[in-house]
Amino acid sequence: MQWHSQMSEGNMEVVKPEMKSYIWLQTTDGSIQQVEEEVAMFCPMICHEILQTGMGSSKSYAISLPQRVNPAILGLILDYCRFHQTPGRSNKERKTFDEKFIRMDTKRLCELTSAADSLQLKPLVDLTSRALARIIEGKTPEEIRETFHLPDDLTEEEKLEPLRNITDDPRIRLLNRLYARKRKELKERQKLKNVEVEEEHVDDRSVDDLLSYINGGDGDTKGTRAKNKKKNRRRKDQNKDSSSNHSNGNHNKELDPLPHAGQNGDLSEVFVGCPSKNSTSQDSAAVTFSPKLEFIDGDIDDDLDPAMKEELDREVEDFARRLNSDWPERMQEILSLGQERRPVPVSINGNGSASRYTMSM
Amino acid sequence: MGDFSGADLISDLPQSIIESILTRLPIRDAIRMSILSSKWRYKWTTLTQLVFDEKCVTLTNDGAAVLKSLLNFITRVLFLHQGPIHKFQVWTSYLQSCPDIDQWILFLSRNDIKELALELGEGEWFRVPSCLYKCKKLTRLELFRCELEPPLTFKGFVSLKSLNLHQVLVAPDVIENIICSCPLLESLSLSYFDSLALNIRAPNLKYLYLEGEFKDIWLEDTPLLVDMSVAMYMTDDIAEHFEQSSSCNFVKCLGGVPQLERLSGHIYFSKYLSIGNDPGILPLTYNHLKTIELNQVSFEDMKEILVVLYLITSSPNLVELQISGSSNTPAATDVPDLEFWEKKGPSDCLFKRLKVVKITDMSGVTHEMGFMKFLLGSSPVLEVMSITPCVYVLEAQLNILIELVRFRRASSQAEIVFCSD
Repeated sequence: MQWHSQMSEGNMEVVKPEMKSYIWLQTTDGSIQQVEEEVAMFCPMICHEILQTGMGSSKSYAISLPQRVNPAILGLILDYCRFHQTPGRSNKERKTFDEKFIRMDTKRLCELTSAADSLQLKPLVDLTSRALARIIEGKTPEEIRETFHLPDDLTEEEKLEPLRNITDDPRIRLLNRLYARKRKELKERQKLKNVEVEEEHVDDRSVDDLLSYINGGDGDTKGTRAKNKKKNRRRKDQNKDSSSNHSNGNHNKELDPLPHAGQNGDLSEVFVGCPSKNSTSQDSAAVTFSPKLEFIDGDIDDDLDPAMKEELDREVEDFARRLNSDWPERMQEILSLGQERRPVPVSINGNGSASRYTMSM
Repeated sequence: MGDFSGADLISDLPQSIIESILTRLPIRDAIRMSILSSKWRYKWTTLTQLVFDEKCVTLTNDGAAVLKSLLNFITRVLFLHQGPIHKFQVWTSYLQSCPDIDQWILFLSRNDIKELALELGEGEWFRVPSCLYKCKKLTRLELFRCELEPPLTFKGFVSLKSLNLHQVLVAPDVIENIICSCPLLESLSLSYFDSLALNIRAPNLKYLYLEGEFKDIWLEDTPLLVDMSVAMYMTDDIAEHFEQSSSCNFVKCLGGVPQLERLSGHIYFSKYLSIGNDPGILPLTYNHLKTIELNQVSFEDMKEILVVLYLITSSPNLVELQISGSSNTPAATDVPDLEFWEKKGPSDCLFKRLKVVKITDMSGVTHEMGFMKFLLGSSPVLEVMSITPCVYVLEAQLNILIELVRFRRASSQAEIVFCSD
């Protein structure tokens, strides 16, 4: 075997080809194991170490493995190497083995990916990346965060940007805005109570600006919207009443709570100002939204002023009703006004998964 | 569940792995990951592979609206993107020619683009802007329904390895120039060209795929060619050209491909090869040719049969052979030479490695039967010969079978599978 002749340089024992030779590997916790040479050599990083430094031939000269490789994961990796380095396996066999091999919990899969990468074992990295992509695909952001233990540390506003156009149904989008806004208001209210310095997304504003492009917002949308948000907060406290009409396409009046209706025809903008409008309509379909309302309510601390809470609930319900009843006409009006801009917002979205996003916000 | 005390499993993996994962997601999902957490906000923006299709946007019945949102989406992605872009692919029939695409290509040309694939839908063809020709690092180019008109100063893509042009409007000499000015070209695919007389000089070419109306195919310098597939359509123009041609097409086309491992010919390819002088004099051998597939061979045209025979007898390592007959053969003008197959007796040549033979669209004409008999008698290691008669000749099937059963088989292992549906 070629390896043997190269290994006989340096302080290694000359090994006869028929005898099984072993490589010694040490993980960061100090434990040392011995592994069949051909299996260990399957890892480029180990192979490289052996050839460059001559280490690994005995226990006292064990090769130190990178930190990301713990003993359990090393075991998995060696199983993989042992299978694949055996010659004569058919492609089908390899595929079947791979499919079975990656069936493990997500945490392990991530550790395995990381370890394989540090050992430069590209086929395994590809395999695990594919598995991780499969896990991610189709999940809602909430689900993904849960699966991978991701901290939910973006502000509402930051989150809104990309999600705004992810859903299919403009109604859902609007509702997302509503929920998000509501949560934000609640947060703000709490902050007012705690007399905290309000964290400002000042630093992230540019980021938001950028991200808003991906969501079909216009350059100036952000500015007006931000302004309007502040206005609206005040207005809300003053118990505003709106005279606006959804079909009103004024987008430059600062006091107008619905500035964006015509701006880009993107309905998600429409309700930035005030979630509650004219409780003109009735409708049974409001019922469909109530489970979502409950979900939101679960987040609310009970130290909220119940009257305020009630008002918010009412607003949300009215809003939901409006959405359901005069939806088609509204759409028409708004879209026709938005003709000069972009009537169809950019959406990043999944098919048929619209409903999930209502929960995720 | 909410074991948020557990450490973040994934955000701190090296960027190469993150990219590996994100590129395996549809681009829309990958971008959506930006709302997961603060660390993920911009992870997608450094992706070096951007692949778009109609799933990126909401589909409605309004094609123009879909196009608009698609254009917006892609433009915005590019705008937010940071860093080099190595692969850019837009593959959807919704895409139409518009100025936005010019701007994308300009942007990409400044960002080290290596692989570019654009498929446009039905409609006006897109005239590729001159900035494309400045993409020095281009290794793969795929264009559907575009117009190519490189400037006179264009010296070729020095790094181009793969070129795929489908329904592309380009002057014939320009296409030849492009091909021969890309020294590293390994894979070439040209489809739906009109009346092209093609002269290919590509010393590194390994894969060739041609489909369309070709007047001439001259592989002048392709010594490393390994896999070749040609489908030649016929028009009156081309038919005339064939009649007037005096050069030996076989040699022009297959004379310089000693490394060929796979040959696949469709429609009028065998006819094309049969035109010209008899190549029997030339000692061409295809030592690596293992698979031959020739479709629409007319067994009533002696010249075509000779081409087939010449090919297979010059391929000592042939393992798999697929022949399909031509169901629209003209009525035989002369009485088939029944002696022909006797002359090519089994002692003349043996197909020492031929294992699989598939014959389809059989009409049962004399020479087809002769050919099968010849093969059966000359293939000592044959494992399977499967025969599928042409659907139009139901009555003849029985006759085919009767004759077939009599043929001697050189291989005791040979299975004859007659597929009649």
